[in-house]
Amino acid sequence: MKKIIAREKLPELWAHLSEQGPLFLPIQDGPVVLFQPWFEGAEINLDAVNSAVSPKDLFLPREETFMHYRCSGKQLEMTPVEPGEPVTAFGVHPCDLKAIELLDRVFLGQEPPDALYQQRRENTTVIALSCSAADPFCFCGDFGVDPADAPGADIMAHLSDDSMLFESRTEKGAALLEQAGDLLADAPEETFSREAVQTADFNLQLEGLAENLKDRFDDPAWDQLYKSCLGCGVCTYVCPTCYCFDVEDFGHEAEGERFRCWDSCMYGHFTEMAGGHNPRPERKERVRQRFLHKLQYYPEIHDEIACVGCGRCLRSCPVNLDIVQAIKALGGEKIEKR
Amino acid sequence: MKSANLLMPHMATILDITEETPDIKTLRVVGKEGLPFDFMPGQCAMLSVPPVGEAIFSITSSPTCRECLEFSIKDVGSVSGALHCLVPGQQIGIRGPYGNGFPVDEMKGKDLLFIGGGIGLAPLRSLIGYCFDHRQDFGHIDIVYGARSPADMIRKSEVRETWREQPDTSVYLTVDAEFPDWDGNVGFVPNYVSELAFTPENRIAITCGPPIMIKFVLQALDKLQFSPEQVITTLEMRMKCGVGKCGRCNLGPVYVCKDGPVFSLAELNELPAEY
Repeated sequence: MKKIIAREKLPELWAHLSEQGPLFLPIQDGPVVLFQPWFEGAEINLDAVNSAVSPKDLFLPREETFMHYRCSGKQLEMTPVEPGEPVTAFGVHPCDLKAIELLDRVFLGQEPPDALYQQRRENTTVIALSCSAADPFCFCGDFGVDPADAPGADIMAHLSDDSMLFESRTEKGAALLEQAGDLLADAPEETFSREAVQTADFNLQLEGLAENLKDRFDDPAWDQLYKSCLGCGVCTYVCPTCYCFDVEDFGHEAEGERFRCWDSCMYGHFTEMAGGHNPRPERKERVRQRFLHKLQYYPEIHDEIACVGCGRCLRSCPVNLDIVQAIKALGGEKIEKR
Repeated sequence: MKSANLLMPHMATILDITEETPDIKTLRVVGKEGLPFDFMPGQCAMLSVPPVGEAIFSITSSPTCRECLEFSIKDVGSVSGALHCLVPGQQIGIRGPYGNGFPVDEMKGKDLLFIGGGIGLAPLRSLIGYCFDHRQDFGHIDIVYGARSPADMIRKSEVRETWREQPDTSVYLTVDAEFPDWDGNVGFVPNYVSELAFTPENRIAITCGPPIMIKFVLQALDKLQFSPEQVITTLEMRMKCGVGKCGRCNLGPVYVCKDGPVFSLAELNELPAEY
């Protein structure tokens, strides 16, 4: 099903969709764009290259309470908290949707499935948006991502100067388009064509990289690579494929809640055990863990690199210790034949 | 189909608590109806004490014990400390079982050499009890157990008396230094293993204890010509989920919580030594 809407009528569509349930979309928030729930007067930025933080928190929230507890004497009562109502995600770029598919393999594909993630995933209708621009840090092309198409979307959307085109890809997507009624018009087959977005070419040699890294655990490159790392963890927070989490209690003796929240392998406490032993005590081991997990360990299990070339670590790392630097330092740069 | 939230604990109750050593207690735990779940020796469970939190512990009872689960817990952290403060009848949260457990089928027909140090006897005891209850499946059983002092040994009546009475079983005890009334060996576990000169023929060695002990036990077994395939140990890492998702016990392509915690030395040699 293909539908079209004039660009100036989009706010009406958003108002309509948000009546059905929370509608998350890229909202300009001061200097950054973030996926946030729509509100009247929100400054929607569909032309933004990428949100500052990936929309992974729609499925793996930054923090989510999943249990309430009450203690009274020797009695303990634990009550589960279910994830909330159905959600629409509007304007997810192909790289970010590809990243969600990589998370699916961990949270849905690997037994046992993660029910919290699964419910959020099933409850969410994803309207993906092809990219109308790329910045110098976008390099999704290296990871098989097409900036013009997101195969895993419920609805694929394209933006032109004066209109937005929707194409449903799943039953869930078709239902949403139908439900919008007169707000959307039927779209002719050839609605508009657009120029392909050019992404950056960092001259990476990714084929065979995971296999080659097996012999590079003790590579001297690590001794140089980690030195500039500040251990701030921003790379793990903005990264769409980072999914490590923590589980903690908040409350007092009588009552409280248990929640899970994002955690970062860049922090010392991440692996520090009771008694003080820490298998990854220094930044060197942590930097190595993060990059090897994306480039070697994850591919060994799932046969694909855990990076989608969204460019967020390149934009955000205060010392430019991004994944492109790491890949190049570890033998992943194409050597031109002369 | 809707799956259950794997992070959601079940209710359990503490039956009783035994003080093993000045800093180790054994908690006996039941679910709402008997055992909270079935398991195999070497598997672990997450115990919850709100608002302190949740931590993973090895199950020290044998799966052949149908009354309760036992956990021998050393007071080293926040959750273990909270568990030490509890009293019988207190309800706690439990979820599991987690991990692969010991390869009991591969051990069948073999002589078994257990080498434990301090609280490291906790996971071994589950397997030892299982072997005693399936005695005909296994050959001779040797148990070497060491602690800093006689007072630091756990399951004292078992290690000193009842295990020795089992058929075709030898128990060797050692402590780090001389103590009054101590009639066992004096010396570190790895040295004692070397002195006892176990032969590798048709034998599997299973070791668990402090990292420094394991390191030298592995060297001692290597000198005694045990192959890496014949040596089995368990790893301890920080864990939060128990099902290979939260990321902190990741070692190369494995997650210790689900692919471990039991590994042969041959398997360990293939992994990054970050444990």
